Amino acid sequence: MATKEELLERMKNGVIEYQEDEVRDAAQQALDEGYVPLEMIMDGLAAGMVVVGELYDRNEYFVPEVLMCADALYAGLAILRPHVPKSTEGLNAQVVIGSIQGDVHDIGKNLVKMMFDVAGWEVHDLGRDVPLEKFVEEQLRTDSEVVAMSAMMTTTMLGMKKVIKMIKEKNPNVAIMLGGAPVTKDVANLFGADGYAESAGNAVSEGIKMIGRLREMRNKGK
Amino acid sequence: MTELTSKERVLRLLRKESIDTMPFFSGMGMLVMPGIEKAKVKFATIHTDAERMAISAVWSARLMNFDCVVIPYDMTMESEAMGNQISLYQDSEDILYPTIPQKIWTDLDQVVIPKNITELGRLPILPKAIEIIKREAPDLPLGCWQLGPFTQAGQILELDQILKGVFKQKAKVEKLLDDLTDMIIKIGQYLQAAGCDYITLREPGVAADLLSPKTFKDIIKPRLTRILDSWKSPKLLHVCGQTEPLLAMMADCHADGLTVDAKCNVRKGREILGPDVLFMGNLDTYKLTCDEKTPKQVVIDVVKDMIDGGMDAIMPGCDLWPAIIEENMKAVVDTTHTYGTKPTHV
Repeated sequence: MATKEELLERMKNGVIEYQEDEVRDAAQQALDEGYVPLEMIMDGLAAGMVVVGELYDRNEYFVPEVLMCADALYAGLAILRPHVPKSTEGLNAQVVIGSIQGDVHDIGKNLVKMMFDVAGWEVHDLGRDVPLEKFVEEQLRTDSEVVAMSAMMTTTMLGMKKVIKMIKEKNPNVAIMLGGAPVTKDVANLFGADGYAESAGNAVSEGIKMIGRLREMRNKGK
Repeated sequence: MTELTSKERVLRLLRKESIDTMPFFSGMGMLVMPGIEKAKVKFATIHTDAERMAISAVWSARLMNFDCVVIPYDMTMESEAMGNQISLYQDSEDILYPTIPQKIWTDLDQVVIPKNITELGRLPILPKAIEIIKREAPDLPLGCWQLGPFTQAGQILELDQILKGVFKQKAKVEKLLDDLTDMIIKIGQYLQAAGCDYITLREPGVAADLLSPKTFKDIIKPRLTRILDSWKSPKLLHVCGQTEPLLAMMADCHADGLTVDAKCNVRKGREILGPDVLFMGNLDTYKLTCDEKTPKQVVIDVVKDMIDGGMDAIMPGCDLWPAIIEENMKAVVDTTHTYGTKPTHV
């Protein structure tokens, strides 16, 4: 039987070194040996992803490496997440996420989605090339607290402005997150959004930093 | 020096010969709404018809006093010619460029590039559009472009598969990039034979915030160099995003000039490249030309600063977004022409 620390280390390093099989095996072993799944997610998988974010910020890792690390994280999450009781997650939040119409890129969107998945949110992923009204309909249908949209190109970015207006008219309390290559903080402010990730690259580091903050909040609450 | 035509101005600049004033031109899309409206066509219809493409491009240049005409407008022509369906968004009121919503291939080794690709899809309309533009605007240089192999791979397969493939399936990625390199050479030569005056190889998907400079050096640079060596001059190389770590390598790809987007620091870029490399681009195509809250004076000051910082021509950092603020767009062009009278390569 492995100690909790050994398994956490294996999961963390497996994420950092993008070893999907290693992460999967360690997650299964942690589950079989009765360790608390949420702890393994936050202190193993998420802790590994925080290091990945640091490596990215230091230009040691680039997007391909981060994508492979994300695959490793999901390999562990797929095993552990179903065993986390809803009540222990501390939140029961929902997010609608998608890439906006005219945009068939979804790398940044998927990395931000990973942050919500780690945090245990219910994610309503609309995919990519999503018609503007669909964001509004899905938010109303699910009563989600957050709508997250990405646009990779300037040419599709302005669609976001319309969605924000439509959503805020119907439900001013929804928090709106924007991300994508052409979106700057100025643009997000101009459009009336509540948060932003500057680029595919920044989505990586912003998404990962959010995971770090989640861990901090959880540790404070312990 | 007597006043040059735009065509003389741009082509002389690209040969590093003396010019009367700095041109405002680009290797990428220069389509603007006033030009589309003047041509009396719908945005969604200009990608599929030579006449509409040509006339909207010429009107865009004429109305804004651009020093060039550029076609095509979208990035899906080659992928469509390989068999993928495109979305034209004909029912949308917004400006949406064609995309490939679903790709026919899922694996790197499934890709087949037809030998007669220039005869397929919409590619045959390009020589027709070139002919019309040269007839209607003989005084303007005509630019065409091709995506680089890495970015083009993302138009025919899922981008994350290519990015991860660099590590996990390197041989397959390299084979695909080689095949695409051959295709890009062929299509570029086809456009040059049809009469385009300068050509741009744009590889936005390899910026240093996406791929490592090492991957650029090992995998991307040799193929960009092979393409540029196979095309006639004048020829430009454009990379988006973080380019400062790549500039020295870009300068070694045998292009006649380099172009970058708004993320590149002009002065740092010039310092890296030295005085002899043609260095262009950098104009922010949202904040300066589309954001209604940007005052005209700010636009003028930024353009002057780009010129002072060492740019050889003012050029958009990306395709112009068509919904321009006309006053600001004209201020960019006017300032380039009036302030840009001190070419660095006399």
